[in-house]
Amino acid sequence: MPESTRLHYREELEGLETRALDGLDMVVQSLDRTLEAVEHRDIELAELVIADDDRIDGRYLEVHQEILTMLATQAPVATDLRLISALLHVMHSIERMGDQCVNIAKLIPLTGYEAPVHAEMVERTVRMGKQGRSMLSQAKKAFEGRDVELARDLVRQDDLIDDLNKEVFQLAVQVGEDVDTREWAMTMMLVARALERIGDNAVDIGEQVAFVVTGLFREFEDASHPGQAPLPSS
Amino acid sequence: MSYAGKPAVQHVSMDIHENEITALIGPSGCGKSTLIRCLNRMNDLIPTATVEGHCYYHEQDLYGSEVDPVEVRKRIGMVFQKPNPFPKSIFDNVAFGPRVLGLPDVKERVERALRSAALWDEVKDRLDENAYGMSGGQQQRLCIARCIAVDPDVILMDEPCSALDPISTGRIEDLMMELKEEFSIVIVTHNMQQAARVSNRTAFLIVELDADEEHRWGQLVEYADTDKIFTNPSDPRTEDYVTGKVG
Repeated sequence: MPESTRLHYREELEGLETRALDGLDMVVQSLDRTLEAVEHRDIELAELVIADDDRIDGRYLEVHQEILTMLATQAPVATDLRLISALLHVMHSIERMGDQCVNIAKLIPLTGYEAPVHAEMVERTVRMGKQGRSMLSQAKKAFEGRDVELARDLVRQDDLIDDLNKEVFQLAVQVGEDVDTREWAMTMMLVARALERIGDNAVDIGEQVAFVVTGLFREFEDASHPGQAPLPSS
Repeated sequence: MSYAGKPAVQHVSMDIHENEITALIGPSGCGKSTLIRCLNRMNDLIPTATVEGHCYYHEQDLYGSEVDPVEVRKRIGMVFQKPNPFPKSIFDNVAFGPRVLGLPDVKERVERALRSAALWDEVKDRLDENAYGMSGGQQQRLCIARCIAVDPDVILMDEPCSALDPISTGRIEDLMMELKEEFSIVIVTHNMQQAARVSNRTAFLIVELDADEEHRWGQLVEYADTDKIFTNPSDPRTEDYVTGKVG
């Protein structure tokens, strides 16, 4: 049997993947706090979400630097190269999702402590967030297991978020004549929009799983031509 | 290809394309050098070496009975691992082949070859000096000039940069990129990044062992566009080798 080599490099690569994917756990924690702050109009908790985003940004910069060093010093190729390219994309998605939590957190003070509340809208919005949270866990599991089917299932999961987003929009349209309630509803639409983007980012991570495994870089669904299989970007 | 009846390389079937650089990679003992030497019948010089099968060059089997090996080596030149200039002047080194073959316009031919080998500007004022006074990188470019002075179609390079520093290696690689416009190049290299940088296609060979582990031979595992070999190889053995998982 041929002897295994480059053991130190392999350990470094595994460590890099672990640190990058742990970034997803950081987003899950931030999203949990964000949803709680939305549900309970908790401005202090929202401020904590904003402050804590520095941790996610820090992880992004740290992994980015490690990837540059690895490219410069180890010249990775084949699956290793695809993995490193995928981790760059994944870290970018993680950083974007952290920012979406911050965007939501910044909206919460605008609604105020005594905001008029439309229970159905809050319920739909929180469901969106929980669905997003579930997708993040699924994306991580799919990446760790190199499970393309599980990754592809994220598209179906994302459809649920999109449907809820449309419901939030409809509820906002029909929220009534009261100016304060309408203003609140508009703000909640922005919250829903940010959560919808988190779902899209989770699908992006799923696409990277497929790239690592198959070497084909393609979107699971083409947003500009819904229902059509996208062309490979080659 | 066998030595003393024992196969050294077998099960190799591949097309080498015109005006491209084709790299042969693989672990030590996989038969890369043996294979490249088959391409211009250099193995004929080894008494125990025998070749079965065919090696077609423009539809002509190089191992056909009517083929003159000297003519083969004129058309398919070779550059070796260690620069091997003759103990002669720079000019005489490059002029050697054209003189032996009785080619006309030797002076012009030497200048053209030295220019093609990106060496002319460095040596034009000292053509009469002994080639041993040149640096290693210059000597290797001189060997390339000597090779192309007889107007070959193909240049075979057997680890041409393994004895050179990174700057000289970079010069040879630049030169290869220029030369492929005019010549077809096959290179054996242990430096996988070099294969990735310069070649259009890459062939990966491995050492196979028989069931008793008594006999070993080289064979081709995968031959594909270099991009594919280094981003998404088809065979897991190629993957393990290029990523360095196994040596």
